Amino acid sequence: MKREIGITINGERIEAFVEHRLLLVDFIREVAGATGTHVGCGFEGRCGACTVLVDGAACKSCLMFAVQAEGTDITTIEGLARGDTLHPLQQAFTDRHGLQCGYCTPGFLITLYDYLKDPECDASAEGIREAIGGVLCRCTGYVHIIEAAQQAIEVLAQMDGAERAKWFPK
Amino acid sequence: MNTQEQTWVGRSIRRKEDHRLLIGDGRYVADMTLPRMLIAAFVRSPHANARIIHIDASRALTMAGITEVKTGKDLEHLGPVLSDLSIPRLPGETKRPVFWPLPVNEVTYVGDLVAVVIGRDKYVVEDAVHAVAVEYDVREAVLDPEIALLPDSPRVYSDWDDNVVYHQHFSGGDIEQAFASADLVVSQRFRSARSGASPMEPRASIAEYSAAEGLTVWLTTQRSHIKRHLLAEYFKIPDSKIRVIAPKDVGGGFGVKAPLYREDIVLCHLSMCLKRPVKWVENRQENLVNIGQERDQIHDIELALRKDGKILGIRDRMVADCGSAQVPIYVSFSMPWLGAMYLTNGYDIPNIDIDLYCVVTHKPGLTPSRSFGSFTCRFAIDRIVDIAARRLKIDPVEIRRKNAIKKYPHTLATGVHCDSGDFPGALDKACHAIDYERFRKEQQAARGEGRYLGIGFSLGIEFSGLSSQILVPMERQPGFGVATVRFDANGNVQVAHGDQPQGQGHDTTIAQVVADELGLTPDDIYVISGDTQSAPFAAGTLASRMGGYTLSAAVLAARGLRPKLAAIAAHHLGISAGEDEFVFRDGEVMLAADPTQRVAVARIAETAMLAPTELPPGMDGGLENTAHFEADTTGMHSTNVHVVTVEVFPNTGDCQILRYIAVDDCGRPVNPTMVRGQIHGGVALGIGNACQEEFVYDEAGNPLVTTLTDYLMVSARDLPHIEVINHDNPSPHTPLGTKGKGEGPTGMVPGALGNAIEDALSPFGVTIAELPMTKERIWTLIDEASR
Repeated sequence: MKREIGITINGERIEAFVEHRLLLVDFIREVAGATGTHVGCGFEGRCGACTVLVDGAACKSCLMFAVQAEGTDITTIEGLARGDTLHPLQQAFTDRHGLQCGYCTPGFLITLYDYLKDPECDASAEGIREAIGGVLCRCTGYVHIIEAAQQAIEVLAQMDGAERAKWFPK
Repeated sequence: MNTQEQTWVGRSIRRKEDHRLLIGDGRYVADMTLPRMLIAAFVRSPHANARIIHIDASRALTMAGITEVKTGKDLEHLGPVLSDLSIPRLPGETKRPVFWPLPVNEVTYVGDLVAVVIGRDKYVVEDAVHAVAVEYDVREAVLDPEIALLPDSPRVYSDWDDNVVYHQHFSGGDIEQAFASADLVVSQRFRSARSGASPMEPRASIAEYSAAEGLTVWLTTQRSHIKRHLLAEYFKIPDSKIRVIAPKDVGGGFGVKAPLYREDIVLCHLSMCLKRPVKWVENRQENLVNIGQERDQIHDIELALRKDGKILGIRDRMVADCGSAQVPIYVSFSMPWLGAMYLTNGYDIPNIDIDLYCVVTHKPGLTPSRSFGSFTCRFAIDRIVDIAARRLKIDPVEIRRKNAIKKYPHTLATGVHCDSGDFPGALDKACHAIDYERFRKEQQAARGEGRYLGIGFSLGIEFSGLSSQILVPMERQPGFGVATVRFDANGNVQVAHGDQPQGQGHDTTIAQVVADELGLTPDDIYVISGDTQSAPFAAGTLASRMGGYTLSAAVLAARGLRPKLAAIAAHHLGISAGEDEFVFRDGEVMLAADPTQRVAVARIAETAMLAPTELPPGMDGGLENTAHFEADTTGMHSTNVHVVTVEVFPNTGDCQILRYIAVDDCGRPVNPTMVRGQIHGGVALGIGNACQEEFVYDEAGNPLVTTLTDYLMVSARDLPHIEVINHDNPSPHTPLGTKGKGEGPTGMVPGALGNAIEDALSPFGVTIAELPMTKERIWTLIDEASR
């Protein structure tokens, strides 16, 4: 069974005639061509590399069908920077060596985007460990990911409200 | 000698790799689509040991866009996979399992290949896989390696006279005398379940064939040249007709992506038959039931000691469950072999007797995983030393001081050569950092409150690459590192090398060392690797060889260009001066005695590349140099000490890590933050494998772990902060003193943790001897001891 759907991905509306069973992650990667979102486990939602923002909320896109996302506004790793300027979170990941092979990186960036959206988020290592517990990384041992998250929290805290809001449009 | 000012080595600059990965612009094999590309998926066996009676693909072939279903019979004419080139050539008794790209008659584990389905749409291909009807004659599976060793055990390979794929007896010194003169002999059996690395990116490959170009294969691999050579040999076509490309982005390797796999061969064959590109992306279930499984060893160890704690000798009967061993290059036994070679590790034990049996069973073949063969060996050696210390009432730090390797160079009784290091200094730093005396007091106080704290140490060596003397017999592959340094006409520098990365950041560290040699910045340098069409030949990324071997080759290749740069500079300046009169700095070649006499490197490159008529008379054009580096030793190693403190909760078996400290030797870190990243990741993998990750099989050989959730891969929630303290001892054998880092930290973990847990539980008198140390196992030990 197929259906015509439209999903906005990083500001661009993508329309396609898709199978009902097409996973959202496959829509993003193969229909929209946004291959920055990755598949590490497939259908169990454990690895988190496929995490995207669906209407502003972090979702594992291997656990949704594309048809369920019809009409939504999705942000992926490709949509975080503003022009050539990296999001403070992306900048922190390179400053603090929060990535190695990069395969899980979309999952951490999107999950932490969702977490950091709340200016009152818990900046302790324990709080961040809890927040990223749904995303798996095999390279970093998470230490530098946590330090990167803390740097981003600090940088964002120094911005005024309007400037900070620019980095969280979703 | 030019005293080059070092400006980039030793600095934690941001990685060159990061930007593309952070904006979602990485390119992994799974991201690629080619015109007319077909999708392949594999039918896999639901039985551990069965004869294939009949395969009916008729229903699958009626499904939309399904073009082919191929079985083992269809590919039988290609011949068996293993050749003299793809089997380790180690001393000892080796048998060669005979198997085809797809099994012809028999499957040997759950998840084994049965058939391949090819079609246009991956969802339909998946449907078609399930529509292939296979009739099996199911037989009893051989699963326990010790039962497999019994003379009356059924055989995994019916034409063998036993189930031993490899046997080797290692001896050194005088073991009889060592045991005869011992005051104490400690015996203990250690074992580990299967666990391993499992990178976040599963395997993927695309094979494309054209009559003119031959075969092009994009692979998630650590070693494109070796795979090309083996594929060429297998298909009986010249190497020149195969191009293997490991893309710039491969999502973790850790050894798991080092072997050639049967799926790779099948994909190549299909693309040649169909004259269309064929793609396969492994799903996580296939991944977990096929690859990434290692550690499966049993050790029966006896340690002979004097009463002052000096270790005199060690005996070990070591049994490794290699599964089906259908893993080209490694055949699943080179890992346990290397583990045995390194059994005594950082301990100076002159008398050894190790009897290694590598056994086949009806499980997937072992594949390499970070800590290559050593994880369980390291657990055993660090644990038996603590057990002996307790029996002798000697402090675990003191027994390590007494027995750690102290004089360099040092040769282990198995022949492994150690070049440099400092265990006593590293132990001092570890004790100081953890505040050992104070911890013992806290531990005592906590016991009074009914709390169980413990501390554990481990010490060990990490190889910094494997020299040709090891790697040639092991895999018929060279140990050398290689790099080509080549100027562009605008003065930028391309470095091509033979070790394609899977996240280690080679582009950055190579750029740092080359920048220093040529007086440039890392931004001036770009690095290529992974494509057999453009990268020089080397064995690939394995065994922490980048820091020792490949970086050194890049240094030497760049250094080798300086005389020519200097000669062109002198010619431009109209002076007569040799290389040692110039310094290379800030993008210029300048006279040391008079820095106003200078020529931009960009101008020199422009001359050499575009205007050779302006070169000194008789000089050839071009600005390019290749260097091969082979250390003048059989082995370079770093020396590391880890210490961990834990609290164990006897009512639940839970173990909480309080502090984890790695005192680490990286020779001379090129990028200290990246070195720390390697240690963090290695320790995290070690904690996962040591405490919670386990590939469980039932008595019929069914994998009970088929998802990451079942496997319990460690998350941030499961792990402590990991502290790193540098204790660097530069290698005397590399031009910068660098050593490798990556493979080693993992193997440090199980011994330290096992020692800490047993120390915490010393009031219960339990012995920690089995991995992983899950809370169930710990609780059971306490429960049994309390009865």
